[in-house]
Amino acid sequence: MKNSPLLGKFRKPDGEPHMLGAMQRLTGSMRKYSEQDEVDYVVVGVGAGGGVLTQRLSRAGFRVVAFDAGPFWDTERDWVSDESGSHKLYWTQKRVTGGTHPLAFGSNNSGQGVGGSTVHWASFTPRLHPSDFQIHTLDGVGVDWPISYSDLKPYYELMELELPVSGPAYFPWGDPHGYAFGPHPMGGVGNALIKGCTNLGIEVSAGGPVAILEGSRADRPHCIYRGFCIQGCKVGAKASTLITHVPDAIRSGAEIRANCMVARVNLGRDGRVRGVTYFDEEGREHTQKARAVVISGYSIETPRLLLNSACPGFENGLANSSDCVGRYLMAQAGNVVLGRFGEPVRMYKAPPAHALTEAFYETDPKRDFARGFAVQTVGPLPIAFAKQMMVAKGAWGWGLRRVMMDYNHWAGFGFLGEILPHAENRVQLADETDGFGLPVAKVTFGLGDNDKKLTDFGVKKTMEIMSAAGAEEVVQEQRYAHLVGAARMGKDPRTSVVDQFGRTHDIPNLFICDGSIMPTQGSANPGLTIMALAARIADYLITQGADIFTSNERSDRISAIRRELAPPDTWGHGMPRIEAPVQPVSS
Amino acid sequence: MEAQRTDDDPRPIDPNTGKPIGPLAQPGYYQGYRTLDQRKFWDAKTREVVLERVHKVPQFRYFDDRQAALLTAICERVLPQADRDADHKIPIAPQIDKRLYEDRHDGYRYEEMPPDREAFPMALRAIDDMAQAHYGRGFLELRMSEQDELLRSLHDGKPIAGHDVWERMPPHRFWLLLVQDCAEAYYAHPWAWDEIGFGGPAYPRAYMRLERGEPEPWEKEEKRYEWAPPPGSQSGRYEPVGGQSEHHATPGQGGTH
Repeated sequence: MKNSPLLGKFRKPDGEPHMLGAMQRLTGSMRKYSEQDEVDYVVVGVGAGGGVLTQRLSRAGFRVVAFDAGPFWDTERDWVSDESGSHKLYWTQKRVTGGTHPLAFGSNNSGQGVGGSTVHWASFTPRLHPSDFQIHTLDGVGVDWPISYSDLKPYYELMELELPVSGPAYFPWGDPHGYAFGPHPMGGVGNALIKGCTNLGIEVSAGGPVAILEGSRADRPHCIYRGFCIQGCKVGAKASTLITHVPDAIRSGAEIRANCMVARVNLGRDGRVRGVTYFDEEGREHTQKARAVVISGYSIETPRLLLNSACPGFENGLANSSDCVGRYLMAQAGNVVLGRFGEPVRMYKAPPAHALTEAFYETDPKRDFARGFAVQTVGPLPIAFAKQMMVAKGAWGWGLRRVMMDYNHWAGFGFLGEILPHAENRVQLADETDGFGLPVAKVTFGLGDNDKKLTDFGVKKTMEIMSAAGAEEVVQEQRYAHLVGAARMGKDPRTSVVDQFGRTHDIPNLFICDGSIMPTQGSANPGLTIMALAARIADYLITQGADIFTSNERSDRISAIRRELAPPDTWGHGMPRIEAPVQPVSS
Repeated sequence: MEAQRTDDDPRPIDPNTGKPIGPLAQPGYYQGYRTLDQRKFWDAKTREVVLERVHKVPQFRYFDDRQAALLTAICERVLPQADRDADHKIPIAPQIDKRLYEDRHDGYRYEEMPPDREAFPMALRAIDDMAQAHYGRGFLELRMSEQDELLRSLHDGKPIAGHDVWERMPPHRFWLLLVQDCAEAYYAHPWAWDEIGFGGPAYPRAYMRLERGEPEPWEKEEKRYEWAPPPGSQSGRYEPVGGQSEHHATPGQGGTH
């Protein structure tokens, strides 16, 4: 074909190098360690947490092997602009789900392959609010974090530049701030959210925060508004650690060992871990020696790995003297509210994530529950929409055909409600095993009284906004979104698994760096927080240096934030220098 | 001329004239819109995956002939296509067979459910047994309205005839599994995209018109027509899926945020 687009190609990418998005090439060779090498760090899982951590540790000069159970994607060859063809992006291995309110996994929340869930996140990237770090103190519910918002704030700011995050110049909620990269234009769903909120006098924000480029930057092109964000962004406009941090990790000497499933973490007689045992693509068993191990498998696979690593001295699971491994698993109430409009909306265009309100985020004493929720845009493609209508309207047969013929008239809002941590919401091992003979995860989930009240109120409010936007019919589907917890951090080793730096209380050279360490979840999408925590954990590990490998002493010493560890592309691309936080204008 | 219409005519009707609609090459409100016409503007990998879906209908390998016939008849009720002509029917049962043959699943299984590979054969047997118990004929021999009535009882969570399978597998869970498998196969097909006016793959060319539901130059404006489900069918109404008590909540399946 003679004519060709600015980005990507219409023809086959024969003979092209490994592509990470339409323009970025993975160049140079990757370092390979042998099994005889004792590396500094093994990282298990290259998602939001593991991707950022691996990049940081490598850039600081540590020898790192990072494992992922799935492939190292070439986005041109492996990904498609197609819903049904994108299942391989999700963790589709066996899991058993139950409890009074069982969670769905797979495409709902679980990634597989380098980049992890950031490959298929919609990439809303709000920060947590300062109140999220102390909900027990403020509201008498849940638990406080061992750190405060101010500990994480510089890392939020840095991650917002590294991904980077596009958003409005002024974001009014939590700790008000602005975004250095400009907001996205509105699609039909964002317009509906703005209109509905405005008609009800609810403050609303548009154009982000979302980790999608609104303009080209270095070797990443601008968004083309094709709507396939959660099928993997072939464009490379949406951030994932696959394209933002892994390339720099490899240039800095990390080995990414893809298609390798870590089976257990091995404990030495001295009470320190010595590396991992894993299965390669052909199912052969290997070991990799390491001076320290970081697990970044997210809220299901991280506790599963610890439980599967039970050994003498840790019969109930590695690092589980607290019996908290697998417990306090959280998902956010993620009901989808759908409204039918008289005029077409065509919600498949524009990123699903492009407008939101956090006006109901904080505890309101006038309500009969603690904490709150956010309302965000979503943009389900036809198959997801059909499944939503199957539940929301009970549609099947001709009823399903009819509502689907009206697909272009519907808009979707995602409710995002904070569900509190409960000890009985947990990950355990099932009786059945996966293809490697490893017991799979069995997940139990249910709602508490506050969770139910919050969800009822919030879904009703979200439906009101949809009606106020002009929708003639409004329905909703019960759902849960995101995962966090199941290996939570805390000050007390009796009630938490890791400390504020992801270090397990039980084993001095075993760390966890992913969403599972979050003690509570707020009503913000967790991705940015996981990355900010990972950068902070990296700074701690680098500050401690070789002490991590040799000493059982626990130090809380951490350096000032190491901005120099950001991928070099972060700087010098027309980004304005914002020195001081944006302050709200007093009226 | 049009044959005498009966309640067994599976085609939808024009509510004003009562006459059946179709069979058509392209039902829906976007006549003349063809996503496949845009395939040269898709990236090569996407084109390969979508064209294979259109041109290579998988053979039945997991189900035997009797099961395949039964599943095909059930899919025709869950996602009826009587308004589509023979050349434009979207294969559904073969895609379910392919998924089960390849043992692909969504990455989780409800604890009260057997694995998908067992659930389908169990349910097919139960549905046929229920037809015998209630109507004295197998499912394939039932009238359209009877097939709908039987399936609707699963949708409602109240099977029309008792069966030991439904003691080992909640009917509403199987129902949702079945409907979502049918939806996955149908709405993955470019002919279904034409029917609903979905833009389809858009990389690397991009969309340009984001607001007010405006079509791209290669998309079509909507041209609506009135239609009603065939009078003998029971699937045109919207009623909640049964079995959704507090302790059997039915969360959504697809990821959107």
